Amino acid sequence: MPLLQSSHWPFLIDVYFFLGGVAGGAFVIATVAALVNTRAYRDVVRAGYYLALAALIPCPVLLIVDLGVPARFMNMMTTFNPQSPMSMGSWALGVFGVCVALAVLFTILEDLGKAANLSGPRRIVGVVGGAAGFFVAAYPGVLLGATARPLWIDGHALGALFLAVGASTAAAAIALILTVAGRARGDGATAIRRLTVLALLVQGLSLVIFIVAVQGAGSPASDRALALLMSGPFKLTFWVGAVIVGMVAPLLLGLADLRRPSSALGALTAVMVLVGGFLVKYVIMAAGQV
Amino acid sequence: MARALAMFTDTSLCIGCRACQVACKQWNELGAEVPEWTGGYQNHTHFTDKTFRLVRFIEAPGAGPSGDLAWLLMSDVCKHCADAGCLNACPTGAIYRTEHGTVNINQDVCNGCRYCVSACPFGVVSFNEQAGTASKCTFCNDRIHNGLGPACAKACPTESIQFGFRDDLVAKAGKRVETLKGMGFKEAQLYGADSKGFLGGLNAFFLLLGKPQTYGLPENPKLPQKNIFVDSLLSVGSALLVGVGALMAFRSRGAGKEE
Repeated sequence: MPLLQSSHWPFLIDVYFFLGGVAGGAFVIATVAALVNTRAYRDVVRAGYYLALAALIPCPVLLIVDLGVPARFMNMMTTFNPQSPMSMGSWALGVFGVCVALAVLFTILEDLGKAANLSGPRRIVGVVGGAAGFFVAAYPGVLLGATARPLWIDGHALGALFLAVGASTAAAAIALILTVAGRARGDGATAIRRLTVLALLVQGLSLVIFIVAVQGAGSPASDRALALLMSGPFKLTFWVGAVIVGMVAPLLLGLADLRRPSSALGALTAVMVLVGGFLVKYVIMAAGQV
Repeated sequence: MARALAMFTDTSLCIGCRACQVACKQWNELGAEVPEWTGGYQNHTHFTDKTFRLVRFIEAPGAGPSGDLAWLLMSDVCKHCADAGCLNACPTGAIYRTEHGTVNINQDVCNGCRYCVSACPFGVVSFNEQAGTASKCTFCNDRIHNGLGPACAKACPTESIQFGFRDDLVAKAGKRVETLKGMGFKEAQLYGADSKGFLGGLNAFFLLLGKPQTYGLPENPKLPQKNIFVDSLLSVGSALLVGVGALMAFRSRGAGKEE
């Protein structure tokens, strides 16, 4: 068996992957809602942009603290290396940060009633930031795929999975915010619930593609890595945490909730999506680095 | 690039004296490490930030000339791949290729993200906790720029490690394989000599007496960055599904309504 080494990226990075996904997903959801109908979905737009900001703020800190020489974090911004998902991710994070700041600024100006002519810039920021947000949500998965680790190198769908998790967790977080704010009944909330169900489906599909692809690789190392994830020490986190709590249960609850909306059921679904979305990223990181 | 330099490690000549391992530590001032009990002669078990040359002692049942136990020796080192996963992965530009074709880590630029550590198909790049940077064999960059061969090659008493121009060494290695085959070593083969083979060829290549797997080497290592295209396409697919889904979810309700 090849003797490989592990980066030993710690828990901090799992948290970053989760928060980056939430931030990217929330920005995209807010932008789509704003493009369709800014007024009707005002609650969703505001919740989405504020959530993106809140989730994004800790991200650079988590990344810098993890570096071996944190003072040299700026060296990431002196290189543009398209071969390195980490380099591209750093740049996407920078672009995304600017867009999130501007979007929040526009939202505040609008709340203050001073945003009469901002629809043009808003749209540009929304589209550029949306693309960067999707990139920020997805690139960690592509980054893992571009390593020699047996669990990740043949998976191919980790970027797709991480993006879908970003969307589902962001939708769930926005649903919770709307519930807490007492706006769980509006059209926006209904659209968010539908979106959660759809994102969970994409999430499940990506996970299946990932597992089938790793299985298809058929090398002893990839078989061993997959066994570690699905029947070894991580099986409980994977099956119960990531699959049942994170996907299957909220999918069923979400479908039931769409037929007969209930804020309690909706909130429970959202919490499960958030917990499961974190766990699926966590378990892939943990099992991949053993 | 100037004519590429290379190291050719002929494992059939290795006697397991570990002079290379010691010379490497001395020249590069790599500290000592606590030995590990591996059940055999091998120490240490893998590359670290203090072990850039590592003699592997491999006991392979059934891999011997008549199906008996083979005791194989191999002085392992960074392969200085022509298509290097670590170099591609580096987000700071700290990892660079020298004019001799070797791969080096600039210790003043590396910020310790550790991406290169998982991107190496051979488990070579190691993280130095003390310095906070990634480290690996430098191909004795200081020595080769001053007319000296790498310390390991210099110290090798059996010429198991040879240093020179890559094209010369590849020709030499090819002849050596034929000789060994003639002597009955049917599995004798070169690993990484072919510049059209995996990873664009290795600037530190090997002559093995058995299958690469026997030595713990991947048979056909893949450049990790080859995945980026397909993985990105699938991500875009996921983004389209989610994005169009979001559009439909929001349009189906309240799209035409004004409050």
